[in-house]
Amino acid sequence: MKAVARLVWSYFTGTPVLRACTIGGLVLMIVDFYILMTQPHSGEKLWLAVMGLSFFFIGSALMPVMFGRLARSHAIGVLPGGRLKLLISMFVTILVVAIPVGALAPASFISGNSSVPEIMKDPRARDYVLQLTGITFTWVVLFASWMYLAMWFLTSQRNMAGLFKGLLVITLVIFAPAREVRDLTVTLSWNLQQIAVLWTVFGAGFLLWPRFKVARARRNRGLSNSLGRALAGKTMGREFDVLLGTSNPWLLTAALLLPLILATRFVGEFPAVWLFFLTIFSVVTGALSGQAGERSRALWLRGDWSRASLFAAVERSIWRQNFHVLGALMLFNIGIGVYAHFSATLLMTGVPLLVLGTLLSTYLGLMITRGLRWLEILSGIGVMLLLMFLAVFVAREDVELVTVFSLEFGLAGIAIALRFIARRRWTQIDWMMCRPDRALTARGA
Amino acid sequence: MTDATVEASNLSKSFGDKQVLQDMSFGVSPGDVIGVLGKNGAGKTTLLELMLGFTPPSAGAVRVFGHDSYSLPGDIKVRVGFVPQQDELLDQLTVGDQLRVIASFYPHWDSALIDRLCGEWGVNVHARIKSMSVGERQKLSILLAFGHKPELLILDEPVASLDPIARRQFLEQLLTISADGERSIVFSSHIVSDIERLANRIWILKEGRLDWQGDLDSLKESIVRLHIRSTAPELPAFKIPGVLNLRRDGAFATAVVRDWTPEAQETLEKNASVQIEVETLGLEEIFVELHR
Repeated sequence: MKAVARLVWSYFTGTPVLRACTIGGLVLMIVDFYILMTQPHSGEKLWLAVMGLSFFFIGSALMPVMFGRLARSHAIGVLPGGRLKLLISMFVTILVVAIPVGALAPASFISGNSSVPEIMKDPRARDYVLQLTGITFTWVVLFASWMYLAMWFLTSQRNMAGLFKGLLVITLVIFAPAREVRDLTVTLSWNLQQIAVLWTVFGAGFLLWPRFKVARARRNRGLSNSLGRALAGKTMGREFDVLLGTSNPWLLTAALLLPLILATRFVGEFPAVWLFFLTIFSVVTGALSGQAGERSRALWLRGDWSRASLFAAVERSIWRQNFHVLGALMLFNIGIGVYAHFSATLLMTGVPLLVLGTLLSTYLGLMITRGLRWLEILSGIGVMLLLMFLAVFVAREDVELVTVFSLEFGLAGIAIALRFIARRRWTQIDWMMCRPDRALTARGA
Repeated sequence: MTDATVEASNLSKSFGDKQVLQDMSFGVSPGDVIGVLGKNGAGKTTLLELMLGFTPPSAGAVRVFGHDSYSLPGDIKVRVGFVPQQDELLDQLTVGDQLRVIASFYPHWDSALIDRLCGEWGVNVHARIKSMSVGERQKLSILLAFGHKPELLILDEPVASLDPIARRQFLEQLLTISADGERSIVFSSHIVSDIERLANRIWILKEGRLDWQGDLDSLKESIVRLHIRSTAPELPAFKIPGVLNLRRDGAFATAVVRDWTPEAQETLEKNASVQIEVETLGLEEIFVELHR
């Protein structure tokens, strides 16, 4: 228990910034809870809690990173009960993150309707509040579990397999639990069942992974070697792309399209949701450029390029990959749009949105030449929020084309600015400050 | 243009507030095999990466074959080989693929040499890099730096992960490469015996400065252990120039000194009425004494 508690404590307080976020978030939520419980009809004051919750959630940002690193380390194999304790610490963190929402939702309901003593006197109202608390709490546990899982795949396994698994998880989130919220079919028992199944499957997989890995390695050694022979020579003429990791756009296209096809099954008939997720996927396409800085280190001594001309070559290589993937995404967008009878306006405005998603994320990624710092994080969050807003805005029936195109032009302007910053940074790139994190690429989970 | 392979003048490097290297000046000539020694965090990797242009200097400059290392042109880069401390291999490729990918960047790649070394070092070209051990990966990294027969070979702790047999084979290969007297090798290592065996010049880094640079013999002549004996029951008070470490015990004393000369010995024996016996130290002992 001590190890689990220490891990959870580290997740929330590991760095001064995260510590400040956690404490700030808690203070804001407690203040808001007090306001909600003492001042009647103060439901509109919930914004304080939303801010607090956001800070509190950001405060736990170290969890997927630490979890990923520890899970892949050799040390976890020799620590007594290491994997189990790590797994429990993840679950506890999710519960801790979910508690404030579970408490604030009924508080908001009560403050918007009556006072606490009155509610408690009415058995029906009391039952409703309890059920609301349970449903909200379990829904957040479920949603956070999926989200952390996606984050873990996307950030710790920085390869195509990780990307595919991460996107698949996002797709599953669209189906459950997000779909239930939309359809208003969410119930406490169904949430509990989902949590039980998800954590049993994930927990078993996580705990048994070392054994599975050994068995798989034994079985696949021959296959792996023959695959290696089969692929030999296919890198001819694309060596630059191979070192940069952009030599196989079809693999990325497949990794994106497969979850998208599944997503279409669930949300194809809802233009806003459909475009929203398509935009997220277009962002993922460009986001892979975030590794270009560290990968280009291996290229520096191997060609007649200055830092500026290396940036130009890297940019060309990334866009060669982007064109394939973006092309597939756009065709897919049009195909589904025609099939589902989406409006021509939506298709006309949706396609540039996909291009913008890739454009912005590509240059945000290329800006990363000294690791993730505040500018990159804030720009990333800002751009994502803008794109998501625009995706939902574009899908509105009463939307004016002029407004949409103006907004899209604005985003294009931001992309140009980001490219300018990225290029300037690359002309001074310092590969001692921009190198692969060995902990992330360490072999053996 | 200059004949020196590498020239550095007043080179400094800092990361934020942390000064890693301070005011270093040195040169590397053809035929030099330089062993770089230093404690962990002494700045060895930073120094080597500055020489390769991976990172800009905070002050001063490094010139490689007469060109500023920060903006090396392509025709200079093909004359340089580098083995990084942490390999930069692509896990998803096979050894053969990785070799082919890197070979494609160079106009002259000695496939025969690499094939021969793969055989001698037991590197399976069909093996997937992902499934290789740390030592095997290190061997491959070294092969990738040898293939284009660089005139300047820079190796950052190349033998750290190798077993004794592989280490011996690697050192023999380095000796072969350096035998023509036209190539320069700069390598860092914590295995002092390897440096002693291979290097003809030594750089010792201490607290961000080049504490010593010169050939191994001069180093061994310069830093010695003195066994001092007095005929009186107690040693008289005396001052030893360049003393690094002094231990007194009655009529005897042991001191490790740097920049020792026969003249200094003569003066001390005369002034303090003592007898001095000089003991030559091994490189490892010298390194330890310098860092006491």
